[in-house]
Amino acid sequence: MPTNKENKGLLPSGLHDLLPPNAALEDRTIRALIDTFRSFGYDHVKPPLIEFENTLTASEKNGGGTLSGQMFRLMDPTSERMMGVRADITLQVARIAETRLKQKARPLRLSYAGEVLRVKGSQLRPERMFAQAGVELIGSNDISSDVEMVVLASNALAAAGISEPTIDLNSPALVTNILADIKIDPNIVKQLRSALDHKDSTEVHKVVRKHETTLGKKADVLNGLLEAIGPAEDVILKLRQLELPDLAVVELDRLELVVNGVLDGSINLSLTIDPVEYRGFEYHTGVSFTIFAAGVRGELGRGGRYITSSDEPATGFSLYLDSIMRALPDALNPQKLYLPFEIAAEVSKALRSDGWITVTGLTPITNIAAEARRLECSHYWVEGKILSSIDQTDISPKEA
Amino acid sequence: MNEEKKLVLALPKGRILKEVMPILDSAGIVVEKDFDNIDSRALRFTTSDPNLDIIRVRPFDVATFVAFGAADFGICGNDVSMEFDYPELYSPLDLGVGKCRLVVAAPEALIVADNPSQWSHVRVATKYPNLTQNHFSQRGVQAECIKLNGAIELAPMLGLCRRIVDLVSTGETLKSNGLVEIETITDVSSRLVVNRASLKTCARTLGSWIEKFRLVVKVDSDAA
Repeated sequence: MPTNKENKGLLPSGLHDLLPPNAALEDRTIRALIDTFRSFGYDHVKPPLIEFENTLTASEKNGGGTLSGQMFRLMDPTSERMMGVRADITLQVARIAETRLKQKARPLRLSYAGEVLRVKGSQLRPERMFAQAGVELIGSNDISSDVEMVVLASNALAAAGISEPTIDLNSPALVTNILADIKIDPNIVKQLRSALDHKDSTEVHKVVRKHETTLGKKADVLNGLLEAIGPAEDVILKLRQLELPDLAVVELDRLELVVNGVLDGSINLSLTIDPVEYRGFEYHTGVSFTIFAAGVRGELGRGGRYITSSDEPATGFSLYLDSIMRALPDALNPQKLYLPFEIAAEVSKALRSDGWITVTGLTPITNIAAEARRLECSHYWVEGKILSSIDQTDISPKEA
Repeated sequence: MNEEKKLVLALPKGRILKEVMPILDSAGIVVEKDFDNIDSRALRFTTSDPNLDIIRVRPFDVATFVAFGAADFGICGNDVSMEFDYPELYSPLDLGVGKCRLVVAAPEALIVADNPSQWSHVRVATKYPNLTQNHFSQRGVQAECIKLNGAIELAPMLGLCRRIVDLVSTGETLKSNGLVEIETITDVSSRLVVNRASLKTCARTLGSWIEKFRLVVKVDSDAA
C-alpha cells in the first residue's frame, strides 16, 4: 500500500484547493460584501498576513488572548523577533485605528477582507484557513451604531445572496451584571456561565440549588433566563418580567432599543435573542450578535461591542466565507464563447465588451463546434454568428 | 419562510426508547405504525405532525446527528453529550428517564491492595475514553483508555486491564463479574438535546417543541 506521503494531491487537514467555478464564486461573494461595506461609508484597509506576535495577542481587553493558542508562529530572521500569522483580522484593524489612523475623525468606519490561518479547526468547521470579511466602527458608543452593525451585516449578506439570515442578539454583560454583587466563588461563576451557554438546565439548576442562600431572588432570575430564548419580541417581554438588578436593566434597555432600531430598519431577517450566549464574547461589552442561516451548521459570522486597548468604544463584525459558501447554492459554470484561431482582434475585443467571456483557439481547428464543447464553452463564433455549442441555435449576446 | 422547514427528531434505539415513548405520546407526537415494527428496515419515520420526522439511531449517534445539524433535536443521555462535548449541542431539558450512573469499577481484590493517592497512570477499558481521561486527569492521573463497544465487564476478568468505566443501573452485572464500584463520575439521565443553529433559525417551532416537552416533564414530576 502506498503511504500518504507519496500522493501529491494530499493536503494537510483543514486546507483545500478551491476549484472552478467555486473559487470565482468566493471572489464574487467577497466583492459583494466589500461593495456593500463601501456603500455604507466604510473605507477598506489591508493589514499584512503576518506581524509581530505581541501585537496580535497583546490586549486582554479586546480578546487578543483568546486566539493566541490558534496562531501559527514563526521567527523573523531579520528582526529576530517572534511573528504570528493572523488568526483573526479584527485585532489588526483595531491596531490600525489606534496607531496610524489615530488622528482621523471619529467615528471611524473601516472594512477589511482576507485570509486567516488557524492551528486547529473545529469538528463542525474543520477549515484551518478561510477568508474573513468585516467592518469595525470605532469611537461611538451610541445605540445607533449597534443598529448599524446588524443592518449592515444583513445588507451585506443579502448582496452575497443570503436573503433571510437569522441574527441572534446576545448581551454578555446582562448575566455579568446579574451576578455582579453576589459573593460567590469565581470558579462557580465560570461553571454557571458555561452551563448557561450550553442551555444545560440540569447543570444550572444544580448550581443554583447548591447556592440558593447566596443567590436569593437571583436564583429565579437565572432559571428564568434559560426560558427566555427565541424570537426577539417574545424574549424582551419575558426578560421584562424578571426581577433584574438595576445594572442589568440598563443592558436590557439597550438590547430593546437595538431590537426596535433593527425592526424599524425594514430589512429582511429574523431576529432572535439569546441573553445567556457567552462563547467567544468574553471580551464583549454591550450588545453582541451571531449570524445563522437555515440549514447551515455553525455560524456565518459574529460581531459586537468592545473596548479597544486605547479605551475607545467600538463595535464591528466578521463574516466567515467558508460558512457563507455553505449557505449559497452551488456555483454554475459561466457561459463562455469559443473564438476560432482566425478571428480578428477587434471582433474579439468587441465581443468581450458586449459581456462575453471569450476563449480563443490557439491553433486552427476544422470542427469548431466540437472544439467548443471539448473546452466546455457554451457557445462558439463562426463567420460573424454566435451559435450554441449544445443545440446549434442562434443566440445574440444580449440574450445569453 | 425558515419556520416551515421540516424538523427531524433523533431517538435512541434500544432500552431507552421504551421509556421515552410515553413522553412523546404526552407531547402529542404519534409516530407512523411502522415504527413499532421491529423487523422494519426503515430508519426515518413520519409522524402525526407533517413538519416533524423521526429517525432512530444508536444512542451514541444521536449526539452526533444533532451536533452536525442532520437532526434538529434529539434525546440522549448526558453520558453521550458529555463524552463528545460538542459545542453546538444545547441540552435544555432533563427528561428524568433512563436514569443510571457512570462509574469506575474494579475487582474487589484490587481495591483492598491499592492506594489511589499514589497513582500516576491507570489503564481503563471503557466506551467513554474522553470522559474517563478528563475524570482522571482532574486528579492528576493519566488514563490510558482501551475503547470497547460492549461487554466492558469482561475486561478485568480476562486481564485486558484492571479497571473499567461503565454505566450502572442496578449493579447486578458488575456484581456477577466480581467487580465493585469505586466512584461515580456522573449521574446519567436522558436529555432533550437541540442543535444550536436550528434553535436560532427555527426559533418558533423548535421553541414550542421544547415548551411541550417541558410541560410533559413537569406534569410527570409533579405527579410523582
